[in-house]
Amino acid sequence: MTSIIKTRDLHKCYWVGTMPHPALHGIDLDIEQGEFAVLAGRSGSGKSTLLNIIGALESADSGSVEVFDQNILQMTQDRRTRFRLDHIGFVFQAYNLIRVFSARENIAYVCQLQGKSKEESLEIANHWLREVEIEHLGYRKPDQLSGGQQQRVAIARALATEPQIILADEPTANLDTQTGRNLIHLMQGLNQRLGTTFLISSHDPDVKEAASRLIKLADGQIVDEWSTIPKPPISISSACPVQNKPLGERVRIKLNRMFSRRRRKQSPKDNSRHS
Amino acid sequence: MHASRPSINQITLAVALRNLLGHLPRTLLTVGAIAVGLASLIFLWSFNEGLHRNMLGNFQQAIIGSIQIHHQGYFQQPELSDYIRNPEKVAETLETSGIENHSQRLESFGLVASDETTEGVMLIGMDPNTETRVTELEKRIGIGRFLQPGDSYTLILGATTANNLNVRLGDEVIVVGYDRYGVMVAESFTLIGIITSGEMGLDRGMAITSLETLQEMVDMPGQVTTFVINLPEKNIDKAVKQLNEQLHEQPLEIMPWYVMFPVMKEWVTLHNGFLYLFIGVVLFIVIASELNTLLLSMLERTREFGVFMAIGTTRQEVAALLITEALFIGILGTLSGTLLGLITVFITGITGIDLSILLGSTSRFYVDPLVYPQLELGRLGITISAILIASMVAGLYPAWRASQLQPAEAIRYG
Ligand SMILES: Nc1ncnc2c1ncn2[C@@H]1O[C@H](COP(=O)(O)OP(=O)(O)O)[C@@H](O)[C@H]1O
Ligand SMILES: [Mg+2]
Repeated sequence: MTSIIKTRDLHKCYWVGTMPHPALHGIDLDIEQGEFAVLAGRSGSGKSTLLNIIGALESADSGSVEVFDQNILQMTQDRRTRFRLDHIGFVFQAYNLIRVFSARENIAYVCQLQGKSKEESLEIANHWLREVEIEHLGYRKPDQLSGGQQQRVAIARALATEPQIILADEPTANLDTQTGRNLIHLMQGLNQRLGTTFLISSHDPDVKEAASRLIKLADGQIVDEWSTIPKPPISISSACPVQNKPLGERVRIKLNRMFSRRRRKQSPKDNSRHS
Repeated sequence: MHASRPSINQITLAVALRNLLGHLPRTLLTVGAIAVGLASLIFLWSFNEGLHRNMLGNFQQAIIGSIQIHHQGYFQQPELSDYIRNPEKVAETLETSGIENHSQRLESFGLVASDETTEGVMLIGMDPNTETRVTELEKRIGIGRFLQPGDSYTLILGATTANNLNVRLGDEVIVVGYDRYGVMVAESFTLIGIITSGEMGLDRGMAITSLETLQEMVDMPGQVTTFVINLPEKNIDKAVKQLNEQLHEQPLEIMPWYVMFPVMKEWVTLHNGFLYLFIGVVLFIVIASELNTLLLSMLERTREFGVFMAIGTTRQEVAALLITEALFIGILGTLSGTLLGLITVFITGITGIDLSILLGSTSRFYVDPLVYPQLELGRLGITISAILIASMVAGLYPAWRASQLQPAEAIRYG
């Protein structure tokens, strides 16, 4: 089996002003065709960031991501858009359907983006509505659908372009347990019938249970579930090297650190004078 | 780069429409702001146009006409020695040029005297047969009558002058003048009419008699100093050019009214300048209110735009969405504004707008109290295009902002 997703030494750090927020630290991950893989890990461990980078929604700082042997980090914005359209289907925690489209139109829209005619696209939409078992709700707008129904539409929309990979970011987090279970069941069935690869982030135990493979993330690193030796904690300076920033930014960050250190040194003196 | 997506434009249109309809109050408010702005511009331009035409028309028809022809240098220094050497040729040229409304005058400085006092005046000899073709002075005679063919040594004075001299209709007035050799001449006239126009320029400083009488008095039979022509405003420039070409062998000056009295033209230009300022203000309001609406709706939909991009919509297509919305608002606002403006102009163009409350009775400055707004097509076109372009420009910034969104961030924080 060949891996269709391959990440190597992936690093990502967010900067809010001059404050670094490390998100991913050296991710090596291989996902094979047809897997139903689940990314587990507590909130803030980097699951969404990893999915977004694999889905070409955002960039990494360093490392490489190959999806179908294409290096997506080096693509232009427009190439990435086309890449997402052709190869990736997204399912989000908050469903994220287009408000002004009916369920059917939400699904048909992505087919039209692929250049199919309106009629053909609506036919395809009907097919996928049947697949996710809500064919009778096709004419409803998102705000007339329950959460579970909306998520089914989202799954249908993700599948309608016939992508090889579905990336689902906490798809059951907003659903009650039973609805969540039905949804997992649906996705599992689609995975088995269509062979579409699923990479799902979740901390829902039901999702983890359904996984063909479980990947655990902690502090931006993949941890082996059965390993008893904890990984050494990563320092912010190694996770978020200032060297990667442009010169102006670097100066700003260094100055900011200098001043905040000075302030810290000064404050005890001030206090002693007051007391 | 992308395969053709024939149906996406259609979708863009549908999404834009549904978004605008989904926020109907906001959409209508913006469309309304544009419409009211444009309508008021159309109305104000037309009102201005009506006011100016009315004023300029009154001004020209009061006494000076649209164009005057004199001997070279006469207007600067009116002397009888500068009479028009070949008036027959001028009259003939005017006729062949299709200018029918012209009249001849003899004009000279002089004095009018009563038992009590004297006053310096412009002595004007008018042809009673043709004067009414070029001016409406006749209508401004409030007391007595205008000149009639066959009148001899009859006189018309302005109300102020008549008052100063303390003379009444039928009284004797002595007129003193100089003939063309500079010899003083004096004659007795009978006052037959008094001008009560309310305009300072007409009610004093003039003494009007018949052309024949003045010619006899200053011993210049058949001679004139002035041709007065009446033409519609739009034909004046062309006529001046044409007459200059055709009459070039005589030393004549062919002067349109605005060369003789530039202040009037400058006033109109200044007045229009204020309107340009107003256009600027309205354009600003249009852009600001539409920018506000579109930015608001863009910010509200940040997440949705992120989703659009995530599922394969290009940045250009997202931008096109907002530009389409701007276009809808702009076109709708422009259409309804034009309609509203035209209806207003049409109705007030029939009823007129009564300014008598605003205008004092003293200095009316040639303005009729009833103004009829008049549409000027050139300006209408410019105003409409300006608003339309402004409303499109207002869509560019939100569209650009939306196209620059990072999909992951937009979805996470939108
Ligand atoms: N846009 C951002 N700006 C700043 N910090 C961010 C941003 N996105 C994610 N982070 C930080 O990156 C880390 C990983 O976040 P995320 O990938 O969302 O984790 P998860 O999905 O597992 O909850 C967290 O510490 C989070 O605060
Ligand atoms: Mg997350």
